[in-house]
Amino acid sequence: MRRTIATAALAVMLTAAAGCGGAAPGPDAQARGEITVWYSNNLEEVAWGKQMVAAWNAEHADQKISAQEIPTGKSSEEVIGAAITAGNAPCLIFNTSPASISQFQKQGGLVPLDTFSDGTSYLEGRSGDVAEQYKSSDGKYYQLPWKSNPVMIFYNKKAFAKAGIDPTNPPLRTDDEFLATVRKVVAAKGAQYAILPAPSNEFYQSWFDFYPLFAAETGGSQLVADGKAQFAGDAGRKVAQFWRTLYAENLAGKERYTGDAFADGKAAMAIVGPWAISVYKGKVDWGVVPVPTSSGRPANQIHTFSDAKNVAMYSACKNRGTAWDVLKFATSKEQDGKFLQLTGQMPLRKDVASAYPDYFAKNPDYKTFADQAARTVEVPNVQDSITIWQTFRDAYSKSVIFGRQDPGTALEEAARRVDQLASES
Amino acid sequence: MRWRFPALLAGAFVFLFPFYYMLIGSLQAEPDPSVGGAFPAPGNLTGENYAEIDAAINLGRTLLNSGVFTGGVILGTMVFGVLAGYALARLRFRGRGLVFSLMLLIQVIPFQLLTIPLYVLVVRSYGLADSYLGMIVPFAINSTAVFVFRQYFLQLPGELFDAARIDGASELSILWRVAIPLVRPALLTGVLLTFIGPWNEFLWPFLITKNQELQPLAVALSNYLTTVSARAANPFGAVLAGACVLAAPAVGLFVVFQRQFISQGLESGLKG
Amino acid sequence: MTVTSNPVIRETPRQGISGRRTWFGRVIGEQPIGGALVAPYVVFLLAVFAYPLGFAVYISFHDYFFAAPGAIVERPFVAFDNYVAVLSDAAVRRAFGNVLVFLLINGPLTVVLSLVLANALNAAIRWRTFFRVSYYVPYVTASVAVVGVWLFLFNSDGLVNAVLGPVAPDPSWLVNSKLAMPTVAIYVTWKQLGFFILLYLAALQNVSRDLYEAAAMDGAGRFQSFWNVTVPGVRPATTLVVLLATVTGANLFTEPYLLTGGGGPDGASASPVLIMYQRGIEQGNPDVGAAIGILLVIGVLILALIERRFVGRED
Repeated sequence: MRRTIATAALAVMLTAAAGCGGAAPGPDAQARGEITVWYSNNLEEVAWGKQMVAAWNAEHADQKISAQEIPTGKSSEEVIGAAITAGNAPCLIFNTSPASISQFQKQGGLVPLDTFSDGTSYLEGRSGDVAEQYKSSDGKYYQLPWKSNPVMIFYNKKAFAKAGIDPTNPPLRTDDEFLATVRKVVAAKGAQYAILPAPSNEFYQSWFDFYPLFAAETGGSQLVADGKAQFAGDAGRKVAQFWRTLYAENLAGKERYTGDAFADGKAAMAIVGPWAISVYKGKVDWGVVPVPTSSGRPANQIHTFSDAKNVAMYSACKNRGTAWDVLKFATSKEQDGKFLQLTGQMPLRKDVASAYPDYFAKNPDYKTFADQAARTVEVPNVQDSITIWQTFRDAYSKSVIFGRQDPGTALEEAARRVDQLASES
Repeated sequence: MRWRFPALLAGAFVFLFPFYYMLIGSLQAEPDPSVGGAFPAPGNLTGENYAEIDAAINLGRTLLNSGVFTGGVILGTMVFGVLAGYALARLRFRGRGLVFSLMLLIQVIPFQLLTIPLYVLVVRSYGLADSYLGMIVPFAINSTAVFVFRQYFLQLPGELFDAARIDGASELSILWRVAIPLVRPALLTGVLLTFIGPWNEFLWPFLITKNQELQPLAVALSNYLTTVSARAANPFGAVLAGACVLAAPAVGLFVVFQRQFISQGLESGLKG
Repeated sequence: MTVTSNPVIRETPRQGISGRRTWFGRVIGEQPIGGALVAPYVVFLLAVFAYPLGFAVYISFHDYFFAAPGAIVERPFVAFDNYVAVLSDAAVRRAFGNVLVFLLINGPLTVVLSLVLANALNAAIRWRTFFRVSYYVPYVTASVAVVGVWLFLFNSDGLVNAVLGPVAPDPSWLVNSKLAMPTVAIYVTWKQLGFFILLYLAALQNVSRDLYEAAAMDGAGRFQSFWNVTVPGVRPATTLVVLLATVTGANLFTEPYLLTGGGGPDGASASPVLIMYQRGIEQGNPDVGAAIGILLVIGVLILALIERRFVGRED
């Protein structure tokens, strides 16, 4: 008798536990009330976040949002991870890195958005085909693709002019043209380096050197696809060799630079997204081109890395009904428009260029990026995503940056380890 | 002897130069990474980096928070740490070896190993999220300081204690009247070294509270730095200015306290 | 009550007068009040560290990851699998090797420099306050800023190489796989020296002036009196300095994290704690991270015991 009671109690507890866990669509998908959200602490996004929260709160006195800032960058994953474990994560974080999704999902920290009856349709309706890249391996959406910063090559017009290169239309389409051009720029002392992506060892640094060119070279392939590493093939080798040449000839710097190398004139080029336009304003007279490929694909066929940040709902959230409504509100056409206006980053909605014609007419600089936003590649949404990136980075750093191993061999070795990691999950 | 002053001067230069450079860099309108940038250029000086910090951060509030956080840690360490250090050095009781080993063990553990379990413990078991106490708790008694106290109590001559005990003084009064006055420099060392940890700590207080009303200066500055680092007119200058603001109170405290290191014994020693 | 009033300064850790040897006394010790004095500290250690530490050991033996409360996940016991994985990982072994190099440079340098400097700063010299503040400044300054300055100094075209001219190393300090760790070691020595000088300064206050006078009367020179009086006089402090330098050095994290951009170049300055952070927190494998951490703790404890044997001998 006693044992049955104990078993029953255990069963009840487990059911209750499952109810508040991430996996099961609990009855609280409809619950409404106050919620907490976190957004990134950079000035522009804070300004957007504040007006969004104010606009919502003005109309929903009984379901108020309270908002807090968390820093972008290195410590944000740690902060979110700790909050998930302690069960005090907020309802929504408007700053969730796609690379962390698989980890948070494994922790049971996320609410699949398919739980909501209009979840999938809303998400796919808003983002279009791009949404597919954000689906997790179990076929569910644990993140709403929010905004991207498709990276392109910025170049310093003055530095190019100094080397006698046409600053309005510099030859940078093929890898060879690119190399020839930057050799001239550096030789003419247009800048000390052609380009200076952070040569340090953090797992995410490859997103801003290897990955955009890899995306372009392969016509939109991810680093890992169908449980297999894709980077050790022909395209990956070409890209690695391209960067190896830059490093070997000292056209790219092997040392980290404190500050912004492009803005300070230390490097003649940079690989950055549209957020940087406002930073370079008044500092550099710049032009922008897509990343190069070996064959010189036309600009309208070039893919690049998206550098996206997304919104995810966390399983500690009680009032999920409200959270879902807020999520839809904050990513509505109107709020996306405000976001674009305030930050210059691209909302991940289909046809962003045609959705806000007035804005792009007034801000032609951003139009190029809006066009590029249609062809972006995300980090693969697989288990052990960060381990995979760190493995790749270590091999890349050793071979491409420091030349202590043949890049081809290093990539193959890394690919074997990545295959293993990808198949384990 | 003749060489000591110039040698110290050269050493001081090596130690001060980066700090000096930080100060100069924080006053520059444009970053100047060349060698010439190490010297003040009249055209390139500005208080702008500080003005920006002042505008972005509520200095009074964050300083107060830092004060409460750091003060709590110092208080805990000076009261309970001194008691523990004294007991470990001078008293024989059961379990002393065990406590000492435990202290050594805590010293040895990298904080990164414990961060998340500790966070879960403090937030969930103790319910101390969004509070000063939650910030203070993991640092409340600085084990390094206990270790330091123990070592200096150990250095005192045993005869003193024997004599006091024969006189029938209680352990607490021996500690208060005999031992503490003798290790005053060590206690100050304890304050100074305990001060730095919480003062410069940013990850833990940030984990505990995202409420800006409660965040100490180091957290506010590091948040500020991540946001401005790309956007300010002179991002590097902004970083350096932030560091100067954070370091200034610590340096000030040291300048005030370091006089206490001059013990009378040495003062009289000079005359001889 | 001044220090000079103590005629005898020796290491005399004899613990008070011997108490009555009753069975009760043996059980609780001669001075049970010690237990009361140390109790708050013990409670603190248990309340704050016992659980996380025990937990770290626990997860190092499981296939563990952090999960949201209530989430149903499988985290089986895997015995020593994590340890095997860690020990067979070349990056981890390299990190342990790196930190050993670090300790070999940082330890002796720290002890010698801090004692010599503390001794000099303790004497009657001009500008004493100024000097003390100078040596203390790096210790109190936040790493973010100091690292920026060092990058400026040790860059390929930084001030140091500009001064060195043709003898400047190529590749430069922090991106040279042979020099990166030594540079980090020197950086840390420099940054932490103020702290160790403080420890020695406090200890020097208890070295009796009489001993110096006696040595002087025996005709000892400056160096001899330093060697024969000062060095033995501050021995407990030296034990402390050696131990603390080892412990803080073994936990090296911020510097490879910030100064060499995540243990660069190519892992040459990666430390065990950095790898632990990458694996455990960034990559979400706290089980592997914990195994690295536990191995590190064991390694440091062994080192500490060896050091106490050679330097310590205080009780």
